[in-house]
Amino acid sequence: MTEPTSENPTTSAQVETESQGTVDPLSNDEPRRFFMKAVIAIGAGAVAVMTPLVAGVLFFLDPLLRRAKGGGNDEFIKLETTVDALPADGTPQRVTVFADRVDAWNKFLHQQVGSVYVRKIGDQVIVFNATCPHLGCGVDYRPTTQDFFCPCHTSAFDLEGQKKNDIPPRAMDILEAEIRNENEIWVHYQDFRAATAEKIPV
Amino acid sequence: MTNKNLLGRLADWLDHRVGTRHLVHEALYERIPGGSRWRYVWGSTLVYTFTVQFITGIFLWTAYSPSASTAWESVYYINNEMFLGWLVRGMHHFAAQAMVVLMALHLMQIIIDGAYKAPREINFWLGLVLMLLVFGFSLTGYLLPWDQKGYYATQVSTKIAGATPVIGNEVQTVVQGGPKYGHQTLTRFFALHVGVLPVLLIAFLGLHLYVFRRHGITPADPEHAPTTTFWPDQVLKDAVACLAVLATVVFFAVYFGAELSAPANPSEPYSAARPEWYYLFLFRFLRYEWVEHLGLAFGAIYFPGFLFTILIAMPLIAHIKGGHMFNKVYMWLVVIGIVFLTGLALYEDKNDVEHQLALQDAHIDGERIQELAALPRKIPVEGAVSLLANDPFTQGPKVFAKQCAACHRWDGHDGRRRFVLSTVKLDGEAKQILTEPTATDLGQFGSREWMTEILLNYDKVFAPLKNAEWYQQAKADDDLDSVIDPANSEMAEFVKDNHEYLSGNEEDLKAIVEYFAKASGRKDLEPIDEKLATRGEAIVTGEEGELSSGCFDCHHQTLDEADSYGYPTLYKYGSADWLKDFITNPGGGNHYGDANQMPAYTADRLSPHDLNMLSRWMIGDYAETEIELPRVMKPADVEIDEPTEDKAADGE
Repeated sequence: MTEPTSENPTTSAQVETESQGTVDPLSNDEPRRFFMKAVIAIGAGAVAVMTPLVAGVLFFLDPLLRRAKGGGNDEFIKLETTVDALPADGTPQRVTVFADRVDAWNKFLHQQVGSVYVRKIGDQVIVFNATCPHLGCGVDYRPTTQDFFCPCHTSAFDLEGQKKNDIPPRAMDILEAEIRNENEIWVHYQDFRAATAEKIPV
Repeated sequence: MTNKNLLGRLADWLDHRVGTRHLVHEALYERIPGGSRWRYVWGSTLVYTFTVQFITGIFLWTAYSPSASTAWESVYYINNEMFLGWLVRGMHHFAAQAMVVLMALHLMQIIIDGAYKAPREINFWLGLVLMLLVFGFSLTGYLLPWDQKGYYATQVSTKIAGATPVIGNEVQTVVQGGPKYGHQTLTRFFALHVGVLPVLLIAFLGLHLYVFRRHGITPADPEHAPTTTFWPDQVLKDAVACLAVLATVVFFAVYFGAELSAPANPSEPYSAARPEWYYLFLFRFLRYEWVEHLGLAFGAIYFPGFLFTILIAMPLIAHIKGGHMFNKVYMWLVVIGIVFLTGLALYEDKNDVEHQLALQDAHIDGERIQELAALPRKIPVEGAVSLLANDPFTQGPKVFAKQCAACHRWDGHDGRRRFVLSTVKLDGEAKQILTEPTATDLGQFGSREWMTEILLNYDKVFAPLKNAEWYQQAKADDDLDSVIDPANSEMAEFVKDNHEYLSGNEEDLKAIVEYFAKASGRKDLEPIDEKLATRGEAIVTGEEGELSSGCFDCHHQTLDEADSYGYPTLYKYGSADWLKDFITNPGGGNHYGDANQMPAYTADRLSPHDLNMLSRWMIGDYAETEIELPRVMKPADVEIDEPTEDKAADGE
């Protein structure tokens, strides 16, 4: 038996094709009734299939639809170093930031959530997020050239955090920091969106 | 062709290349001799239900985490925190059950209409393969939430696999990924549930549909109506039926919701364990002792296997004269058997107080863990099971029932809402009766009501002591002075002496009670009426009021002083600290001294953890709960006069 084509249909129903311009002979209905049945069938079928699908898609969009409470973390975190412990000459020190981290159903206490560079300048401190604003790699401090350098795509920054080449879209991200009780360093730790000229918290 | 619009030309283009018109024709214009019928919808509803499972399953997959310490947790998160998670999970949960029902209806319709007979044998067998695959889905899926219910029910399934002759043990070990349940059990079940089984199901469903279309439907009655086509008449009926299935599933998801019981805990027995309802018949079958005598493999493997083999053989049996009738009779017998056993199992459970209590416990634990997981501290990394293990509300009653309820009661029961019963021979007949308590009912311990009762009705509070053997012995020996006598102790005398004053001066009584509430430091007794408490302090020290003697003339206010020998200390009386000190050393000088009759629950009898759980539960020191504990259930064959109710009413 040759493979049937639409020009030569061999369906079990043996109906004529539309192209031959005749109405389905097996349809017992007048056109309006046929049309109504078709509409209801398609409508009911669509509702039946779309209900789980739409529910599922909304469920999948949960991260957008149900923004975590306190997403903008406004709390200052105390760094595990002191003003006295920082080099007086302004050499950046890399400091790990510890904080409680919520991950879906878990809450992890005192976790490493990121790292920062801290420099002492006179009686002030300046704190940089150690994440490269380009594409999020960790920025290294190079003592020999006294600058910050990203090993991924060679972004480079001076000690003030300013761009030394055109790879990064913006300067290193400076974080709000306060000295409390004379010696403690508190920082408002935030991450920022990568690859934008503006500094947008995430 | 030239006068066609763009859409028509596109359709032509596609048809020329892939033959779409032929495909659409194949799909839609199948002949339905005898017209469209509602009885033909079952197959379509099954395909639809599988589609629902496929869609919701994929989405659930995006949030599920298969490991022993994250499975329950991620399902909790899906169910309780994620947007519409309850609905997606609920649909998946109930559509799975709908699938079993629809499958049974489909199979029955096929047998009744004789649609399994030649030349459709192969398709019948393909259908049976699909049925087994669906059972595989339900079996593997039941475990995935890693809750008590699924855990213990699945244990039975894998143990049955272990009863397979010769290779049983190996089969079981491989299936569960080791000698015991753990991470690997979940990863294996998960891979089967979302990988192997779906692929097999789609493949066999494809074959099933292909072969079905080759032979067309089996008309129940070709003369029923003029012959029609699948589209739109039967499609309409199918679509409406699918919509009805969806409505049912959504109704169950909304009004009942997919249950999530407490996280799986191998050390915590789950007495409410039952398989999913459609396996209840097999469960009940295995409960017959004669079945057990024939061996587990007989009841769980050979016999069901035998029934299934006849099912497989049906198309062949139909060749014999009267074979089709035999098949139909056989089908109805099996259906009746299954319905009977299922009904019997349900009926027995309904009337089994122990099972009902176990169900209540399971339900309470399930509710409680969801309260605990929702607290700001969230779920610890080691898993939610530790939340329940360290929850006084959950553990306290268990410790009380095990350690204390032999003598004490808690609002008339054993702490876990069970009466304490003992068996006696009455007229040669063994009967269960309520056991008399031999120590105080501690349901109100340390509360304002408790203090009020002690001050007004000391003898009544401690009256159960008179049931104790030591009391009866002392009475017989005329030696009641050496023990605590609720009617004649110093405290009893004090209460009698002051009864007129305290029962007549409600304000002063309240003030004393308030003082002790404050002194206990209990959080659940707050807020404290400070003014009243100050007045109360003045009364108990004898500065004001008319007490015959001050409380502290006998009792002391520290835990360590010994010179108030035999007078229970009032240091933070009613607090967890007081309780712990008392429970570990009731015969200490700062408690009952030589008069004590209660065993000391030292660390070797009661672990510090259990002591902590017990004490904190007794004083209500646990995360707030909105769970309403069900009433204590009376076993049907036990006669209980209703003193417990009076007592509960008095306490309130």
